[in-house]
Amino acid sequence: MAEKIKGKGVIAGIAVGNILLAGQNLDSFIVAYKPGTKAAEKKKAAEALVAVADNLKKSIEDFLAKDLKEQAGILDAHRMMVEDPAMSGTIDEQIDISGSAPKAVIDAYESTAQVFEAMDDEYFRGRAVDMRDVGKRIAKYLLGIKEPEIVGKVIVAGKDIEPSVIAGLPTDKIAGVILGVGSTTAHAVIIAKTRAIPTVVGVGDGIAQIADGDPVILDGETGEILIRPSDEERKSYDEKIKKQEELKAHYAALKDKPAITLDGKEVELVANIGSPADADAAVKNFGATGVGLFRSEFVFMGKTDVPKEEDQFKEYKAAVEHCATVTHGEGLCVIRTMDIGGDKPLPYIQVGHEENPFLGYRAIRISLQRKDLFMPQLKAILRAGVYGKAAIMFPMVINVQEFLAAKQFVEDAKMELVHEGKEFSDNVQVGIMVETPAAAVMAPALAKYVDFFSIGTNDLVQYTLAVDRGNAQISYLYNHFNPAVLRLIKRTIESANKEGKWAGMCGEMASDPNAAIILMAMGIKELSMSAPSIPRVKERIRNITFTKAKEILDKVMEMEDGDEIKKYLATLG
Amino acid sequence: MTEATTTIENKTGIHARPASVFVQKASSFKSKVQLKAKGKTVDAKSILMIMSMGLVKGTEITICADGPDEAQAVAELKALVDAKFGED
Repeated sequence: MAEKIKGKGVIAGIAVGNILLAGQNLDSFIVAYKPGTKAAEKKKAAEALVAVADNLKKSIEDFLAKDLKEQAGILDAHRMMVEDPAMSGTIDEQIDISGSAPKAVIDAYESTAQVFEAMDDEYFRGRAVDMRDVGKRIAKYLLGIKEPEIVGKVIVAGKDIEPSVIAGLPTDKIAGVILGVGSTTAHAVIIAKTRAIPTVVGVGDGIAQIADGDPVILDGETGEILIRPSDEERKSYDEKIKKQEELKAHYAALKDKPAITLDGKEVELVANIGSPADADAAVKNFGATGVGLFRSEFVFMGKTDVPKEEDQFKEYKAAVEHCATVTHGEGLCVIRTMDIGGDKPLPYIQVGHEENPFLGYRAIRISLQRKDLFMPQLKAILRAGVYGKAAIMFPMVINVQEFLAAKQFVEDAKMELVHEGKEFSDNVQVGIMVETPAAAVMAPALAKYVDFFSIGTNDLVQYTLAVDRGNAQISYLYNHFNPAVLRLIKRTIESANKEGKWAGMCGEMASDPNAAIILMAMGIKELSMSAPSIPRVKERIRNITFTKAKEILDKVMEMEDGDEIKKYLATLG
Repeated sequence: MTEATTTIENKTGIHARPASVFVQKASSFKSKVQLKAKGKTVDAKSILMIMSMGLVKGTEITICADGPDEAQAVAELKALVDAKFGED
């Protein structure tokens, strides 16, 4: 009999594979290690540095060949840390103390990490994690622990998985993800979502029962995890896996069909993306009719300096062109301007230490003060608009003044482009994310000025309910069906429609089929989600009438409790 | 051995980008190059060491080089710092 542990299933699907523990503890290996003479250990350490740097270079090339620039960027920073001349000296000093090469490597990077951790600058503090990561990587090489030799598919498990771990693995080799923490919006989960990898979060201490290499069956729907299953147990899942395959085939058949109700009401189902390659996959594999949210942060991350207009233009143009392949060239690509703050500091954006970065200097608040950052981005988007249909979306707006100031920047950007004689589109829509309660409350005023609203539910729910979405202890309060949230959403959609503008949604809520039908009844035009969620939402819309959806909405709006609403909607599915 | 002293003038100090520019330049010389500031001396070819010094605007630094191209190394590196690493 298998041991069973249970968490919260967040990305549906059955995964079968062997466990790959992220954040592996090397202590026992280091104790068991038999060092040679100090001179021999020093030689071994020096060779390991060269070998690990070479491996990294190879991985970087592989990632670049696949257009995975974020992953390549992370590994390139790691390569620099391996090749740094100061490290070999520090490692030798540590070998003089402990006599063991792997221990010396860990200690050397640990001491450097501590120096960085003590620094005032948030960006440098963040690098400490990378240094420990690098130290471990080299120690593993010395200890002969193979970098996950991935034969077949693995299920990556860890208390909290660093985004760099997921980034460092070929994604086609990851069958599933298990997280100890409860967050459904952790970076690892977001990456898993865009690739439809079955995922269970919030298993808590259950993670300790799993050993590296354990065979495991994971159910991303129920949150059940079977460790070392027996043959019978494996068989019992065969049926489920077969059903999963059938469903996949059914969804594939839905790909080119519209998201239209039985009585003819159509909703646009589009994709949230982080890179132009995602746009291509969303359109080709999942039938997205455009992009509702291009998170431009990835253009900014992993750079040491402000990304150039020309480089940004290339990325946006590629995404816009992918969208133009659908809906007779009408597929819209909504590009959100930089949404970065103190939680993800960058070398060229000095935020400084903030008690609460989510309520701090971030997103549009930075853009409006940093013409050097904002202008190249706006110009790049306006230029990309020539190759299809592009839209500009500002994040974190809380009032009309901010929108008008940002809009003025767009006009200035056009003037500059005229002067520079560069081609750009004058038909780029300009709208905002509605993700603060202030914007939702002021929606009737904002709607007069914007071209569109896109409701960002992840933050809207968090700010409205004062619930940190990553905090497992209170995550039960995080519910997008909370009546306060629903009222703000309804108000936003109705305000847009009243002014002849359109409203969409680009938060997690849009990928919930039960939410999709009531949003449609509220008058939403577009739902944007991680591409693999599109078929499930489409299926739900195609099997209901608009009349029925409106009846459901009326009932929901009478209810006073979010959990009651959630339960009620679940009985309908 | 050649050395020269100067003061960091660019707004953000020696942050990630200036550090990487400085280290690349330092590494292009055969001589051993060191950077002294705040009573510490570090290898100027190591980006980790340079960054860990936390050099902000107004910090006085001394660049010293020892080797075949020491004079050129010190002159060029000082010029780079004085030109604010091409920033601002």
